[in-house]
Amino acid sequence: MSKRPTVAEHLARQGVSRRAFLKFCAATASMMALPPGMAPAIAEALGQRRRPAVIWLSFQECTGCTESLTRSHSPTIESLIFDVISLDYHHTLQAAAGDAAEHHRERVQEEFAGEYLLIVDGSIPIADGGVYSTIAGMTNLQMLEESAKGAAAIVAVGSCAAFGGIPKANPNPTGAVSVADIIKDKPIINVSGCPPIPVVITGVLAHYLTFGTIPELDKLGRPTAFYGETIHDRCYRRPFYDQGKFAKSFDDAGARNGWCLYELGCKGPTTYNACATTKWNEGTSWPVESGHGCLGCSEPDFWDAGSFYKAVSMPISDLGKLGLAAAAAGAVAGVAVGLHNRHVKAGAKAAHKPLTADELEGDKS
Amino acid sequence: MSQLSDIPVTVTVLQAGADAAPHGRALLMELENQLRDLVEQGRESSIDLRSLPLSPGDLAFLEQHLGKGEVTAEVSALGPSTVQETAIHGVWWVRHYNSNDEVMAEFLEVTQCPDIIRAHPADVRDSLEDLRARLVELE
Ligand code: SF4
Ligand code: SF4
Repeated sequence: MSKRPTVAEHLARQGVSRRAFLKFCAATASMMALPPGMAPAIAEALGQRRRPAVIWLSFQECTGCTESLTRSHSPTIESLIFDVISLDYHHTLQAAAGDAAEHHRERVQEEFAGEYLLIVDGSIPIADGGVYSTIAGMTNLQMLEESAKGAAAIVAVGSCAAFGGIPKANPNPTGAVSVADIIKDKPIINVSGCPPIPVVITGVLAHYLTFGTIPELDKLGRPTAFYGETIHDRCYRRPFYDQGKFAKSFDDAGARNGWCLYELGCKGPTTYNACATTKWNEGTSWPVESGHGCLGCSEPDFWDAGSFYKAVSMPISDLGKLGLAAAAAGAVAGVAVGLHNRHVKAGAKAAHKPLTADELEGDKS
Repeated sequence: MSQLSDIPVTVTVLQAGADAAPHGRALLMELENQLRDLVEQGRESSIDLRSLPLSPGDLAFLEQHLGKGEVTAEVSALGPSTVQETAIHGVWWVRHYNSNDEVMAEFLEVTQCPDIIRAHPADVRDSLEDLRARLVELE
């Protein structure tokens, strides 16, 4: 059994006051997309939870996910979470430590068997015996299988680990697959995105750290707190979409007025991610706010889903309801902002048909 | 590491009509609900501004319509936090920053006094010990 201090003890040792701890909990609740009233419950849970051991494996990847996390907000509450979470082995950050680091990984796997959290970024190449990516003489496949055995849960960080990502893109020369394609007997949380939003990564880790449980997941294994709604559902340009006001090129009057980027290929309507609310670069902005459509990076096979600049097809049956739903949103309470599209989604499975601006114009209410 | 503020980019916020603040009015109505609960039942609540899809115009709209009240406080705990009472008594704008002055969390709190201002009983108890120890040292 681990004798690690509880999270609250650890913070107190670092001279963090209760007031600061409260702030930490408030920011954590916000990060986990929980209601602000949850902060005291988080404080209580953190007072009892022991710091978990964490092993981070990087496979066939570009290090963008690790960059996304470590380059953001430093030093911050997120990095504090990281500090608290006790990263025992991260072989990108530890590359220089070689053999000693490998032994350390083995020790952690033994000492905390059944308890540690395994974080994986990058896909796993399995063609030709897995020779396309090896670490310390082991193929990624071997290392994943070995490290997964004693893990309490696995977090697949980034679209590569979650779905295969860019390495898996056609024609997939290395036979890249996702973590869930290989490991079948452990809970796996997919934190997709290319890269995922840093606060989403830390939010998921904070959830595990705080409650010791796996958050609610969607059918692709993603936490619904962050991937429960599409970019389009929460996009601030949505009122323009509902009015049929579309930018037709990146420098026309519509683009300058901040109109919807649907016709310029925005994949917001089919992409589940939290960019529209958490934003990027310390909350500065996000792709649509910067004038470019969403690429759909948090969805499986986004790289092969056709041109980034071609409009996605939408089920035509949705249209009549959209204008109404948007109009109603202005009249209901603020917490409902952005949630108003939930009820129309059920019908969105209908046959997909490309949609033109003219059809939208004709349909606005 | 270079900071965002080091990069010479000028941000121009669009000055469009009602379109610039599509959610502003809905948020004010939500605050009206919460303030009523505080008045009638003493129930405190808050809105996590980072969890809503707000446009820059929405925030400007809120700032404009809530105004600035009598109390401004700064807390330093894991980086600064600013607490500003709005011109609507009982509605507070609370921003938590990290040590790089980046906003980590932002709330509108509907309460008589935000928790981050109060001294925590356990901290007060510890400080009592601390003060006594200081007195002993003086002897
Ligand atoms: S299509 Fe894209 S830009 Fe338009 S409202 Fe949807 S997410 Fe926003
Ligand atoms: S806006 Fe779309 S493509 Fe861009 S980061 Fe978010 S989910 Fe990925």
